[in-house]
Amino acid sequence: MRGPSAADLSLLVPELILVVAVLVLMLLARRIRQGQVATVGTVIAALTAGIAASQALSWGTISGFSGMFVLDGYSQFFKLLIAATLLLATLLSVGRRSDDGVPRGDYHVLLLLAATGMMISVSAVDLIPLYLALELMTICSYILVGIRVERPASNEAAIKYFLLGSFASALLLFGISLTYGLTGTTAYEGIASALYSRGLVSQPFLLVAIGLVVGGLAFKIAAVPFHAWAPDAYQGATAPVAAFLAAGSKAAGLAALGRVLIVAFGTETALLSPIIVGLAGLSLLVGSVLALSQTDMKRLLAYSSIAHAGYALLGLVAGTPAGVSATMTYAFFYVFMTLGAFGVVIALGARGEQLDGFQGLAAQRPAVAAVMLVFLLSLTGFPPTAGFVAKFGVITSAVQAGHIVLAILAVGCSVITAFVYMRVAVLMYMSNTVAPAPARFPLAVTAALAVAALVTLVGGVLPAGLMSWAVSP
Amino acid sequence: MNEYIGIAVMFLLAGGLAGLMVWLGSVLGKKNPTPEKLGPFECGQEPFSLPMGRLAVKFYLTAILFILFDVELVFLYPWAVLYRRLGYVGLVEMGVFLAILMVGYVYARDNGALDWK
Repeated sequence: MRGPSAADLSLLVPELILVVAVLVLMLLARRIRQGQVATVGTVIAALTAGIAASQALSWGTISGFSGMFVLDGYSQFFKLLIAATLLLATLLSVGRRSDDGVPRGDYHVLLLLAATGMMISVSAVDLIPLYLALELMTICSYILVGIRVERPASNEAAIKYFLLGSFASALLLFGISLTYGLTGTTAYEGIASALYSRGLVSQPFLLVAIGLVVGGLAFKIAAVPFHAWAPDAYQGATAPVAAFLAAGSKAAGLAALGRVLIVAFGTETALLSPIIVGLAGLSLLVGSVLALSQTDMKRLLAYSSIAHAGYALLGLVAGTPAGVSATMTYAFFYVFMTLGAFGVVIALGARGEQLDGFQGLAAQRPAVAAVMLVFLLSLTGFPPTAGFVAKFGVITSAVQAGHIVLAILAVGCSVITAFVYMRVAVLMYMSNTVAPAPARFPLAVTAALAVAALVTLVGGVLPAGLMSWAVSP
Repeated sequence: MNEYIGIAVMFLLAGGLAGLMVWLGSVLGKKNPTPEKLGPFECGQEPFSLPMGRLAVKFYLTAILFILFDVELVFLYPWAVLYRRLGYVGLVEMGVFLAILMVGYVYARDNGALDWK
């Protein structure tokens, strides 16, 4: 057994950049008065980490840390996405007067650390580092949700999230221990070869182990029946934190789930398929139907994110590389359209958090209403936005895997969610103004909205460039 | 069995010495009982309270900080034992480890975690 070498550390460049930023900001946290310093530091860290991750996109597959950590196209794709999530979430947190009580330095430290956990989790090829990385992400998320300590709603949300999250972590850990007991290893490749060579399919415990591991990871992406935390946590958290969780936690969870399903349990399609079909079908149905009755925008987007977890899982049903690519594309576009929709909610302040606040927005701020309409159309899956490309990919892959009923359900749920999203659009364009016009947005927020809208539109028209990056592990 | 006799003797001696001290203390010592002295000792906390009662969080904060920096020593001992064999790489790695811990210490101090309010 040897310690990590310099070559191992070179695989960790994006994570190390974020960690250095964390350490500097922790030292400065009580010494800076201006929140802008923390914001600028986080933006620089996110940008450099994203550039470092994109540099390694074409390096091929390099493994390090005694085979527990891997750098490949799949991991770099998601690391780039996580860096973008961190960047946009940081920009969207600028200039929020309602968050005055939030310590800015600590807030950005937690965002950076959560993003570090996400980045490590997409590169982990062993269940133990995966667990550690996901815990780093979730523990920071618990604190972020409860960061407005003086507000009871924020505390309540954090406690609910913490209790359910701890339970889900215990499930994941139990699944990992059962997997280790069956196969004698926690490395993905080792698990796959042990399952193949020893013929463990008939072992009843294998189903339990896979179910627990998948369940623990399904919590991170808020797939039904592990979704109960999402609406409460999003509603109690500040809107930028909710946006960060909805986009980042889901992307990292999907990446981890994809790798576990394809590499570790890839041989057990017969066992996996019913579990994933169940998760996807329930998420689609519950997320779409419950979104119908929401009047709080953060809750509405939470249920919409649950439905989108269902769509993203459609690509994993088949267990083929093409299906995983479809899920990756879905995750990529989902992150930008969700951050965009949350971004408009954030930018409108207290008004944007209620559905009624969108009444007559188009008359007051036509540009904002138009941008919101782009995100809503994309979330619905309407061409020529990116949401259509993403949905088309995952539904096609479900059909190719022979799950026609599931595909029909997915299209049906699209119609239900269309009603949810179009209700917001109708309020914006077809009702009278009730509130005074919103103030001018800070430059950072406008920039974040512009980036999200650009990706959503360009991704819908020219998706081929992105899809060539989306390669399965 | 012979090798265990030493351990048995040590147990007897340790138990005997401790018992002797407690006995001597109770025989020779002055007794001036107050309700506080007679209560069970639990690090400044009420030994019995309702589950919904309030408790001071500062004890836990101190305890957690103590554990953090105590565990640091667990890593320092093996490093000290293998110091020569690890060479400069070990020195740098340990320096980075300690620097990160020191950032945590500065952060805790900045936030008043060490002030006993």
